Amino acid sequence: MRAIYLIARREYLSYVATWGFWLSLASVPLFMLIGASIPALVQSAQPVRHYVIIDETNTGLDDVIQASIERERREQTRAALEAAAAVSADAATRERALAAFDADPLGLDGLDDALEILGMQGSADMIAAGTGRLIRLDAPARTLEGLRPYLLGERQVATPDGPRSLFAAVFISQEAGSDLPLINYYSTNVTEQSLSGAARRALRDHVREQALAERGLDPAEIRELSSLEPEIRNFNPATVDDSEVGAADWAPFIVAIVLAIMLWTAIFSVANMLLTSLIEEKGGKIIELLLSTVRVRDLLVGKLLGVAAVSFTLFAVWGLIGTTVMLLAGTFLQGIDPELAGLIGEAVQPGLFLAALGYFMVGYLMYGAIFLALGSLCETLHDAQTLMSPLILVLMLPLMILVFAMRSIDSVAVQIVSWVPIWTPFIMIARLPSDPPLWEIAGTTAVMLLTLFLVLWGAASVFQQGALGHANADSVKRIFSRKKPVRDEE
Amino acid sequence: MTMPALDVSGLTKTFSGFPAVRDVSFSVPAGSITGFLGPNGAGKTTTLRMALGIIRPDAGSAKLFGQPPTLRALDRVGFLPEERGVYRKMTAEQVIALFARLKGVPAAEARRRAAAALERFGLAASAGKKVKELSKGMAQKVQIIAAIIHEPDFIILDEPFSGLDPVNQAMLEDVILEQAAAGRTILFSTHVMAQAERICDRIVLMARGQKIFDGKVDEALAVVPRLVTIGVDSDDDISALLSRFGEVTRLEKDVDGVTLWQVALAAGIDPQHVLRACVEAGVRLTRFEPVRPHLHDAFVRLVSASDPLQPVEGQ
Repeated sequence: MRAIYLIARREYLSYVATWGFWLSLASVPLFMLIGASIPALVQSAQPVRHYVIIDETNTGLDDVIQASIERERREQTRAALEAAAAVSADAATRERALAAFDADPLGLDGLDDALEILGMQGSADMIAAGTGRLIRLDAPARTLEGLRPYLLGERQVATPDGPRSLFAAVFISQEAGSDLPLINYYSTNVTEQSLSGAARRALRDHVREQALAERGLDPAEIRELSSLEPEIRNFNPATVDDSEVGAADWAPFIVAIVLAIMLWTAIFSVANMLLTSLIEEKGGKIIELLLSTVRVRDLLVGKLLGVAAVSFTLFAVWGLIGTTVMLLAGTFLQGIDPELAGLIGEAVQPGLFLAALGYFMVGYLMYGAIFLALGSLCETLHDAQTLMSPLILVLMLPLMILVFAMRSIDSVAVQIVSWVPIWTPFIMIARLPSDPPLWEIAGTTAVMLLTLFLVLWGAASVFQQGALGHANADSVKRIFSRKKPVRDEE
Repeated sequence: MTMPALDVSGLTKTFSGFPAVRDVSFSVPAGSITGFLGPNGAGKTTTLRMALGIIRPDAGSAKLFGQPPTLRALDRVGFLPEERGVYRKMTAEQVIALFARLKGVPAAEARRRAAAALERFGLAASAGKKVKELSKGMAQKVQIIAAIIHEPDFIILDEPFSGLDPVNQAMLEDVILEQAAAGRTILFSTHVMAQAERICDRIVLMARGQKIFDGKVDEALAVVPRLVTIGVDSDDDISALLSRFGEVTRLEKDVDGVTLWQVALAAGIDPQHVLRACVEAGVRLTRFEPVRPHLHDAFVRLVSASDPLQPVEGQ
């Protein structure tokens, strides 16, 4: 035990003393922060886009589209204002602010007043982001050929922000023999579809309303008909209180899939750390000195535990940060969206995280031991890469299965692969929220633990041969090529 | 009788059909300095690894202090492997303390001993430096200290002089003698015969996986005939006179034109007998030089005489 402790301690301290460890420690919260901020950043960093609409039908369809875009923009702005008010103001102030906003029922003229009531002067741009950044201009030409230089950036058009290129041109026409308008949308940006989508929605609603009006319905009836929508309620017969299935019910499935992917990433990264350190150690010719002091199994276990301790330190710090963020987010969201706050509460299931911890430990020990054994056969990282390639493919498979099986996590195929012990940690953690039978959990766990034992035993044997140079990467290649062995010992 | 520090019996190890070590038995008496000699590929390292329990023998056994090489027994052994290195990113003091602790020395005592040893080896100023920042010679000293920091009863050094510069070779020689003087048993493998001859009480000689000699240094030297070189100021043939004492060879004349003869003395013949015979015969001697045999000659003679091994059938 003394040797295992000292080897593990040395491994642990050697990692903790590196820049890489501290970078890893900081990188996950940092990337999560960046990841969480990206949608908002992308949204707020949307450039102002100028477009023109050419209505060749001359029936006012351009104004229909424009009105629809402004309506959508107003709705989004109101929702953003409501969310901001929920956080920053009491109920009475919220009411006053929304009333001020609604003073202009069709536009955004009430926004500044509403923000002033909330004490958020100067936030108009942030609150009115999104479609608000699409600005319609008077067309400098009426034909595609005339507009092409503006769309390609060869010519610029006067805008309130100065001369600019055109983001898009929307042509509305009507083909002979058809009652429906045709939209031809031109833009060099083929991925940004918000304007074309808005135009399509606006004209779709418009032609439907027109068709209904032509059939003698008045506008009130049309609105009533348009708002008709059947209600669908989802239930899970397994729930005792017959409550409706909601986001809180599927949240654990998503969390489990995310955990499985995180588990995979963590195991792969940590096993790689082990491999690199071992090859470095072999290069430094320390192994034999160690083996004269400790037994090979102690060395293997010590190294595995040392790096496991590094992982747990990382997880502990990340977990602490994550829990703090969750608690803060829960408190924050309680005021804005109690349902979302509840969803976070449902998603964080201690049992699932404990199981993930267990699966991580077994998976890590299994893959770590295999990586160590193979690493002991290699002199350089290049050698290691050759041997690792098949193993990495084996490691990739459960990840691919998870991606394809997200919608049917309890399919027979997934049930079968969860019995493959080297995949069990990833597949079973993803399956746990679907309550697989207890015998299946126990059975896969037993097979997995038995395999772990065999892997540790085999890895120790390979490690002993490899560490002392009695076997190497060529030995493995010879097994497959069936070449006659050559003498490799004095 | 004192328990030998190491007792190996019938050790055999085969790798991929080739016998690395075959039926090797020898003992290392407590308190002795034993040289473990042999050419490259003789099986020395494999034998030492089996002696330390690092690898398992196919047959035979090894006993340290009368017991199998358990971790408890290994705590009394200091080992410096042929392929040696230390953790390059640890400081000199940390490396030494780590190996002391692995051998069961308590943490505080390990640190104290590390500091004292570094002081003694002239490395006190580098105690806090990472090994990668030390010169090669300094790093080698750290390795040597790490092998003996726990004050073992038995020190095994595998090719300890290889890769050392002359200054560090002399330093290591002093360390070995100092440790032996402190009552410790030393076993070191080498193919540098001069050092073995200077330091060892006894030698075990290996060739092609087999032990071919085991005994005192004098006994090894006895297998090599002593030589006498005689310079004569004439071209007279004195081979008949000298042949009574051993095998006679006429050498090339030296730069001064002196005729040289060499006599490989037969067993029991003293160089004084040859000198007396020459004087009595009136031979005009210009040179009479008994040549002391060296371990190198014994080594070459013994290794040359040993049988080559064949691969083991069926493996």
